[in-house]
Amino acid sequence: MKSTLAILTLLGAAVVGAVFIPGAKADAPAWMHAAATAPLPAHDEKTDAVLLYAEDVTTVQPNGKIKNFRRRAYKILRPDGKRFGFVFAYFDSETKINAMHAWSIPASGKDYEVKEKDAIVSAPPDIENGELASDFKMKYIRIPASEPGNVVGYEVEQEGRPYVFETDWNPQQTVPVAEARFTLQLPPGWEYRGVWVNHADVQPKISGNNFEWDLRDLPAIKYEEDMPPWRGVAARMAVALFPPSSDGKSSKGFETWRDMGIWYADLTKGRRDPSPEIKQKVSQLTNASQSPIEKMHMLADFMQSDIRYVGIWLGIGGFQPHSATEVFAHRYGDCKDKATLLSSMLHEIGIESYYVLINVERGDVTKDMPPQKHFNHAILAVKLPKDVNDPSLLATLNHPTLGKILFFDPTDESTPFGQLRGALQANFGLLVGPDGGELLELPQQPAYTSSISRSGKFTLSANGNLVGDVMEVRQGDRARVERHALLTVDKESDKIKPIESLLAHSLSSFQITKASVTNLKKNDLAFGLNYSLVADSYAKRAGNLLIVRPRTIGSKGSSVLETKEPRKYPLEFEGPARDTDKFEIALPAGYEVDDLPPPVDLDYSFASYHSKTEKNGDTLLYTRTFEIKELSVPVSKMEELKKMYRAIAGDERNTAVLKPKS
Amino acid sequence: MLMRCYRMVWLAVMIVLVTAPARLARADEWKPVSPDDLKMTSLPEAPGAPAVYLYRQVDRNDASRASSEYNYVRIKILTEEGRKHANIEIPFIRGKISVSNIRARLIRPDGSSVPFDGKVYESTIEKSKTQKVLAKTFTVPDVQVGSIIDYHFNYDFEDMHIFDSYWLLSDDLFTKHGEFTLKPYTNEGWTVQWNWPAGLPKGTDPPKEGADGIIRMTSNNIPAFVTEDYMPPEDELKFRVVFVYFDSFPERDPQKFWKSFGKKQADRAESFVSKKKGLEEVVAQTVSPNDPPEVKLKKIYIRTQQIRNLSYEPQKSEQEEKRDKQKIASSAEELLKLGYGDGYYITWAFLGLARAAGFEAYPCLVSARNLYFFNPQRINKSELNSNVVLVKLNGKDTYYDPGTKFAPFGLLPWYESGVTGLKLDKEGGTWITTTLPPSSDSQIDRTADLKITPEGDLSGKLKLSFTGLEALSRRMTERLEDEAARKKYLEDLVKNYIPAGIELDLTNKPDWNASETPLTAEFDLKVPGWVSSAGKRALLPAALFGATEKHLFEHADRTWPVYFDYPFKKVDDLTVELPLGWQIGDLPKETDTDAKAAEYSMKVEKQNGKLHIQRVVRCDLMMVGKEQYPILRNFFANVRTNDDQQIVLQPGTGSASN
Repeated sequence: MKSTLAILTLLGAAVVGAVFIPGAKADAPAWMHAAATAPLPAHDEKTDAVLLYAEDVTTVQPNGKIKNFRRRAYKILRPDGKRFGFVFAYFDSETKINAMHAWSIPASGKDYEVKEKDAIVSAPPDIENGELASDFKMKYIRIPASEPGNVVGYEVEQEGRPYVFETDWNPQQTVPVAEARFTLQLPPGWEYRGVWVNHADVQPKISGNNFEWDLRDLPAIKYEEDMPPWRGVAARMAVALFPPSSDGKSSKGFETWRDMGIWYADLTKGRRDPSPEIKQKVSQLTNASQSPIEKMHMLADFMQSDIRYVGIWLGIGGFQPHSATEVFAHRYGDCKDKATLLSSMLHEIGIESYYVLINVERGDVTKDMPPQKHFNHAILAVKLPKDVNDPSLLATLNHPTLGKILFFDPTDESTPFGQLRGALQANFGLLVGPDGGELLELPQQPAYTSSISRSGKFTLSANGNLVGDVMEVRQGDRARVERHALLTVDKESDKIKPIESLLAHSLSSFQITKASVTNLKKNDLAFGLNYSLVADSYAKRAGNLLIVRPRTIGSKGSSVLETKEPRKYPLEFEGPARDTDKFEIALPAGYEVDDLPPPVDLDYSFASYHSKTEKNGDTLLYTRTFEIKELSVPVSKMEELKKMYRAIAGDERNTAVLKPKS
Repeated sequence: MLMRCYRMVWLAVMIVLVTAPARLARADEWKPVSPDDLKMTSLPEAPGAPAVYLYRQVDRNDASRASSEYNYVRIKILTEEGRKHANIEIPFIRGKISVSNIRARLIRPDGSSVPFDGKVYESTIEKSKTQKVLAKTFTVPDVQVGSIIDYHFNYDFEDMHIFDSYWLLSDDLFTKHGEFTLKPYTNEGWTVQWNWPAGLPKGTDPPKEGADGIIRMTSNNIPAFVTEDYMPPEDELKFRVVFVYFDSFPERDPQKFWKSFGKKQADRAESFVSKKKGLEEVVAQTVSPNDPPEVKLKKIYIRTQQIRNLSYEPQKSEQEEKRDKQKIASSAEELLKLGYGDGYYITWAFLGLARAAGFEAYPCLVSARNLYFFNPQRINKSELNSNVVLVKLNGKDTYYDPGTKFAPFGLLPWYESGVTGLKLDKEGGTWITTTLPPSSDSQIDRTADLKITPEGDLSGKLKLSFTGLEALSRRMTERLEDEAARKKYLEDLVKNYIPAGIELDLTNKPDWNASETPLTAEFDLKVPGWVSSAGKRALLPAALFGATEKHLFEHADRTWPVYFDYPFKKVDDLTVELPLGWQIGDLPKETDTDAKAAEYSMKVEKQNGKLHIQRVVRCDLMMVGKEQYPILRNFFANVRTNDDQQIVLQPGTGSASN
């Protein structure tokens, strides 16, 4: 999955400009020395560094160019804090770095200075595989003596003309901040709108067209596993800029999501116009006798299987798709390209569709956030014909003006038409409709649409060996992950490895005697995984007893909450899910059940877990159901979740005791 | 001299270029495509492969004023996943190498071909003041399963330079047929030698020089290179032909070559320790004349390790180095006076001190086995890349490397243990093999005194101790970290040992700076719900620390030999006290699989009303061939099976709950 829009988002945040103070002498500047002597903000012994002083100055020039000036001073407290001695800035053909300058103040000895001529330019390290080309680059400096006890600092000035007049101020960081200051300098006639997110509103000091905000003693945001994305928790101010209305500039800050939708509609204008070849292909893929749904399926399937994901984004290419004609001719494109071509093809069968911009991390964009282009993915909202009432179309909602719309991600090669993968469900996306943009919440599918239904029939011998067959039926995300694992192996013999890895989590010793898959490439159908196995010494001897674990295969537990420190942020599940296990173990002749583990019945608002081990004649029957109902677990319910995970771990270890028949 | 050889500088560059997926460039004509290749849907020799190289050609010409290399690649797409190979990336270094004449075409399954007329992009991979690594990238459009992609290009190298060259045969994709040539530079006395360190693909004849002076090789069915856990170093496994240029006639007889090399290196080492006065003074201050030889040598070793070892300090910037103005000692005597030096020279200082104390000691150059395995027949002096000292102690050859921080007396770091080396002397030296320590020298001991709570939790004290190479590697890993990071490191280690969520607190201050003493950590440990309930019984898993072995060698298929860095041993000793009124029921049968190469034992017994659990996992193997893999896999499956044994307990009035 690609995040092609993310880069421009980063760029937007990095576009800075103004007040660069050339520091010709080797000593660190006075502001850094002043920061170095200031009291440290509150911190604990695990704090890598503290941000002593952060200053951002955004200067808007009358011609619409924006300069961003960034100044930082960190005190490094621990070896891991050395990373703050790495200064970087992103740039591309439309955003330049005017200056870059860094210093360090060692605890003893003279200061060090590094100038821009010592900087290194490289491709950004966080670009995912799959992009063929990008003009997006990174310039970086390593500050000498970035060691615990020392203070490092830098100044960076950048200049560019943004596609949209907006920026973010992010005063809260991963380390405690002593002081963070933001200055906005506007030319006459310009206005701004600042909206605070994850922080109470802060009023600026105003001096003419200069606006200055100052925050002190901000706590660090410390990483927690499965926490919401950064923008979902960090204090920040979203700033939209508005040129004078007489200026006639088309690019301005977004007042509303509608504005942003209009901007994107304009950016994509004409891109979906079909070529004769596209029309011909649509005719070839569909025929008159097919229902609209069948036709949509055919086109979606073509898009998923025949158009490769490849990203090429130069300049505005991070947001603007290539034309449908170009994408069709090349048979490749990124997410917005694929959405563009599918939209064009759908139009040819009389189906209208609309771009939906979204962030693949749920929580990055929320309904309360002001309009900003923090999206990194593009999918489609397909307007369904009125008479379509197909129950397989789950990712739908009734729109007040468009009617029933279906969300579909043509970049996702393994999720069937009609559904969305978990990360996109209950996520907020910008629907670029006929009347502009609209932020809406995508539907959350029922839990059963992402499921593993596993059933195993085994026979246990008196020497403890287990022999049997397992059938797994996987749907939704649960199928997608396994399909991907099997489709990406490089040799035939490796196809068994995902199954081996699955079993190795549960069985200490096993041999797979037979395995097959069904519907590996048929996304519309449930994915099946069937295998037969032998597990030697599965049941353990203790005296004349045989001890057997009824939960044979599969793990639902997690140690994510087994941490010393109390949880600070909600825990996010990727998507809803409902898994069931049913294992039948035929007991060895001459043995009977003497002890059974207790059932587990846990039902919380966010998830439930029910398991039971029963004696059924000469068979041990284990059944369980695990369901994720809510996608975010608030901190107030974290103890319940921890309790549930511990109960699951215990249940998965639990054993039944068999004794010789008397 | 007309030509300059920038071998060292360019070696890394060439590795980048040669290992890149792209194989590129000259001719303006395409190779014919056979009907069989068009029809191909899979290749029996590469079952399930997403794509294969049907053909690769590398023609290197070093004979001109500037070297050039023509590359031709033909890829067959066999699966949907294989279509990603339509994305081509050709790396190069601006100013040193250029890429020219990139041409590509798509051949559809019906045989029709479409020339590539799309855009070739140029991406920056890294750029500094001195170097800019770029890549030419393009993607061939409309690639479907069954398509064939042809492309070719030229690498044009900087004028007036020659580089060591490689033909890298192993690649991520299977190669059906490859043709490789090199026209070497032979003017002005330059010669080239070649070798194939990892052998050649089955059925491939070694490269041969033709009457025209061109070295040629063809190879068929080159397997795709795969990576696995616990595999030997990649450089040891990848098929490649290495060409090395010499500016004089090279010595082709390995014996003579190493003799000559050994003499020169012996001179250098001896020169470094030739000033004896200062060394004798240090020895006099360090040892007592009455010390037995081993004590004397150990004192000298410890004294040497006290020298500030610059090799293990944080990397400094150019500016810091300039400001520090650290002098490089020209002799062991000077190094001792300065009180600092690189690890390499600290080891030589030990040589001088040992001799000054009257020991018979020799400098040795050895080949570290973390990158490749040394073979003197390859005549590559850069492969003898580390140094140790051989000391005759009580009539035995013993080896020391005090220049490796935290290396205990008598133990070499793992990559220098059990390796070939050259003991240097005036005659050129003799080959030696350094000692490989037994597993008992590198041990992990986990001793715990625990109690079961009525709720089924397990809690108490845990003592974790690392000796030998186990301690050395951990001290090395954490040498630049602070107390909080080391605490987390140790706690994470314990979490990885136990297959359940745990609560843990480090209660002592482990000695991270020592070499000679074990690294010992003590914890308060709690495993919530570790005891499971089964009606009227409670069950306690016999092994608490078995998680590390849980996923070892889970796959039945194996391509490469298994390679352990060094022999190891884990010894667990647990005492578990039961809640009041609980009884010990049936115990698992004692297990003891003790072979020479590996051992696993598990013993559970009642001892004064408590449970006493002893577990040992030992492995004295370093390399296990592919043929023996099933045996090794079975051994660890047996470990897991026995680790899963349960101890039956009889709770008193109630049952354990989890």
